[in-house]
Amino acid sequence: MSLSNLIDDWSRYRKGREEGGFHDYEHMWGMSIDLNKCIGCNACSVACYAENNLAVVGKEKFEKGQGMHWLRVERYWDEPDLGEERTSEFQQHGASFLPMMCQQCNAATCEPVCPVAATYHTPDGLNAQVYNRCIGSRYCSNNCPFRLRYFNFWSYYEDSWPAPLQMQLNPDISVRDMGVMEKCTFCVQRIRTVKDTARMEDRKVRDGEVQTACSQTCPTGAIEFGDMLGMYDPETGVAETRVTKMWRKHQVELGKTKQNKQTPEMRGYRVFEFLNTDPCVMYLDRVREV
Amino acid sequence: MSFSKIKRRDFLKIMGWGGVGATLVGCDLPTTVTLEEGKEKVVSYLMPEEYVIPGVGVWYASTCQQCPSGCGIHGRVREGRVLKLEGNPASSVNKGRLCQMGQASLQAHYNPDRIAKPKIRRGSSLVDATWEEAYGLIAEKTANISGSKFAWMTGSVSGHQSVLLQAYLESIGSGNHFVHETINNAVWAKVCQDMLGDSNPRIRLDKAQSMLSFGADFLGTWGSPLHFSTEYAKFRTSPRGTLIQVEPNMTLTGANADLWVASRPGSEGALALGIANQLVSKQGLSMSGLPNSVQSLIRSYTLDETVTATGVDADRIADIAATLKRRSPSVVLAGASAQGHEHGYQCVAAAMVLNVILGNIGKTIESNGEFAYASMAPVSGNTHSLVSFSQAAADKRFDVVFFSGVNPVYTAPKSLGLKESLANIPFKVVFSHFNDETTAMADVVLPLASTEEDWGTHVAPYQAGVGEISIQQPLMEPLSTETRGFGDIVLTLLKKRKETAYEGFADYYAYLRNAFSTIPAEHKNGASDEQFWTDVLAAGLIDVGVKKTSLKVKGVEFDMPKEMGNSSAMILAPSARLGFWDGRHANLPWLQEAPDQISKVVWDSWAELHPSTAKKIGVKEGDMVKIASASGEINVKVYIYKGVHPDVIAVPLGQGHDAGFSRYAKDRGVNSLSILDPKVDKMTGELALYSTNVKVTKAAKTDDVLVRFGGSETQVGRKLVSTIPADVYERTEGGDHVA
Ligand code: SF4
Ligand code: SF4
Ligand code: SF4
Repeated sequence: MSLSNLIDDWSRYRKGREEGGFHDYEHMWGMSIDLNKCIGCNACSVACYAENNLAVVGKEKFEKGQGMHWLRVERYWDEPDLGEERTSEFQQHGASFLPMMCQQCNAATCEPVCPVAATYHTPDGLNAQVYNRCIGSRYCSNNCPFRLRYFNFWSYYEDSWPAPLQMQLNPDISVRDMGVMEKCTFCVQRIRTVKDTARMEDRKVRDGEVQTACSQTCPTGAIEFGDMLGMYDPETGVAETRVTKMWRKHQVELGKTKQNKQTPEMRGYRVFEFLNTDPCVMYLDRVREV
Repeated sequence: MSFSKIKRRDFLKIMGWGGVGATLVGCDLPTTVTLEEGKEKVVSYLMPEEYVIPGVGVWYASTCQQCPSGCGIHGRVREGRVLKLEGNPASSVNKGRLCQMGQASLQAHYNPDRIAKPKIRRGSSLVDATWEEAYGLIAEKTANISGSKFAWMTGSVSGHQSVLLQAYLESIGSGNHFVHETINNAVWAKVCQDMLGDSNPRIRLDKAQSMLSFGADFLGTWGSPLHFSTEYAKFRTSPRGTLIQVEPNMTLTGANADLWVASRPGSEGALALGIANQLVSKQGLSMSGLPNSVQSLIRSYTLDETVTATGVDADRIADIAATLKRRSPSVVLAGASAQGHEHGYQCVAAAMVLNVILGNIGKTIESNGEFAYASMAPVSGNTHSLVSFSQAAADKRFDVVFFSGVNPVYTAPKSLGLKESLANIPFKVVFSHFNDETTAMADVVLPLASTEEDWGTHVAPYQAGVGEISIQQPLMEPLSTETRGFGDIVLTLLKKRKETAYEGFADYYAYLRNAFSTIPAEHKNGASDEQFWTDVLAAGLIDVGVKKTSLKVKGVEFDMPKEMGNSSAMILAPSARLGFWDGRHANLPWLQEAPDQISKVVWDSWAELHPSTAKKIGVKEGDMVKIASASGEINVKVYIYKGVHPDVIAVPLGQGHDAGFSRYAKDRGVNSLSILDPKVDKMTGELALYSTNVKVTKAAKTDDVLVRFGGSETQVGRKLVSTIPADVYERTEGGDHVA
């Protein structure tokens, strides 16, 4: 494989979403997270632990950065956009919270580096991880600009779920073992269940029918989840989903490295958009009275 | 048993529907369900042929018991196991949402350290026993007890558990019910009662344009946190409300404030009066509705005087007043850090005075109505009960005490001497899930079924104008055959006391089933008895309405001690978090590993210090400090940030449990409640939690490190969280959601 071939392939892959050719997407699951509503309460994170069989690793391993929080609520004290905070005596505008899960990038930097294609893009627009194909090279994790991939350095089964705690484990998904990479799946098992039901009822999936665990529990409704390709609803005749509406309103488009907003002040943005990974998670600016 | 022997009014009382008198016409005694049938229904609802479809999750409604708010939940059950909880969208309390404590309720249920068998004390140890032995011993010890010698300490309680509990107290002839919660709104409730004629008014965040909160952590621990979180989302949509939070150390609510103001604990009342002064003198508002003495008190808090008393900048005080006036209607709240003083009542009263001056009463503070069935109405806990119980125990007033839903040996400051006084109580029965500090001192331990295994009815203490009874139903078979539901235990105890009225009920389920058969017909909407019951279980709740009430502003006189706020001694802030709550959830691994919302510490305690104070003491993050009060000392690692008043050291609640509580809480951190002085709010008797002076010194470092989530405290110039000013938001998104 020559270098030019490699670059060419990557470039076609990268543009697959806009220009077609690599995927015929059935869905494109995406999110909108409103930082004006998020209160940093951490309910989403614990809901994810409960839904997705996330291991509790304990203090010592957590210290080494081995915590398995697929959704972590980051908290920052500075406000680069407002400036003044550094000099003031108090934290006068409170904190800045950022719920961070896998951004399900459409041009995911983690995918092409996997030597065994254990992480790949599904026709649902998901960045998937095939556990039993993963050999634990950890290249993907190194290549994730958001550091949202979590590696099983240990086998946690016994320590994390002493009987009868293991009875809570969600049978819809596996418990990952040592040597395997894992991360937020957009609750793929919930998507699967809804798709199966819809298929059995011979109909299309409806907007709002799939709720991720984090979005469902969020006390302020900060997280919207849905299909970025829209969904045709025969009753309302509308093809927009709640999430596409949010993206349109806030003038953020998939497949762009730099948004060309008509109203630049609309709040939508993607973290590290300039890195060109095309995340499917849009954030809405935090708001403060100043 | 035949119901005909019991008078109708008595019968209604037994079933919890008493207390509404004349409105109960047309109520029928149960006809469709006999007790025999009731018995048959006692089998688990998990009858395989009907309810278990392999591979398919089925959702059942129930009620969260992780804090007293009473959120409705849905539990996902598959192959006989409950796997996941969500909020019940039909519940007006939480509208389908759940907090992290609610999510983690499953780990209390499946906890490897749950008590699985009754225990009886033999000498210095508790040994396994049978229920017969436990009940036998209780019957023996309570056989001829005089009412005044018996007491029952519980957490907040409501619904039919409350009805049975009261019946038991009555059967003994005792009025000694101590209801204890460390996290409470007791002073707020008393002030509301005195000044508005309603202890539990409805707060309309959705209508408010601005909020001033003196330490009311309504997103975390004040009132009904999930309910207020859903309301907060409305408050923040256009026109976006402004939140000003005044408190000694940052709570979750403070972390979301537009303006966060550090207050020296105890100065909140002075600040409120100073703002009132500005509203009257500069913003043209009237205080004519207030008693003359309060008016002159407000006049005395001139800007200069307020600055001296509080240390808050003059401009800031004027600004807050101007904002509240401009962004009307507003709402002013007061919570733990404002009420936790010897003059806590006055501080909260001063905050309420602002609501009166600002004209908020009737606009953002409304009457909430009263739950119609008095014996099922929520009884909310406080710390006054802890203080008076400790005193009574010290005075050797009780021979037999029951404890349920409380862990006073952990929550009582050592200075109350409760642990020692418990030795004065010859016979202590503890209803418990875990071997916590209080359980360890029991003479009899009654192992409780978990929330997910038990039946119950609950009336949420804060409801927005409705009177929902939320159903708790088992989401799976009990994990241990030797645990019992709370209602079942009390019912058995009543039967053992030969209370004939209860003899006919095979168990608590049968009792509840009958209660719903005898519910006043107006609530059944014409449904057959069986249909009605099925509907209630499926919905998880039933709204039985409220008795309309109205607010009446009453002039209440109060003073404000002048000297407070001037002292320079450090004050300990035992702040609470939506997480470990009052310490009861430290045994849940998800919550131990969940980073604290503010400090991001995991698996530990920490002390929060302002950078200037840390510098003075000579400590940096992770260093150990010794915090010494007149009542004891603790050693704890520090976390340094600008969200704490320089005179304050905050040590959030939760850790510092005795070994027995669980493998997860064992040997972890400190309990800041333990070294509090036994001071109380003079008006209400509530523990003055924010008034203990401490000396803070650097202590020797240990090997034990402070582990925190996240590498960086700042965004290091990256655009991670982008912030825009509110006026830009109004310009671009205003009008979208205008009501
Ligand atoms: S649950 Fe919602 S409000 Fe809470 S931290 Fe997560 S996104 Fe934010
Ligand atoms: S979408 Fe699902 S897997 Fe991803 S963070 Fe949310 S709960 Fe976790
Ligand atoms: S607020 Fe209380 S009742 Fe509601 S979910 Fe959380 S712990 Fe449960």
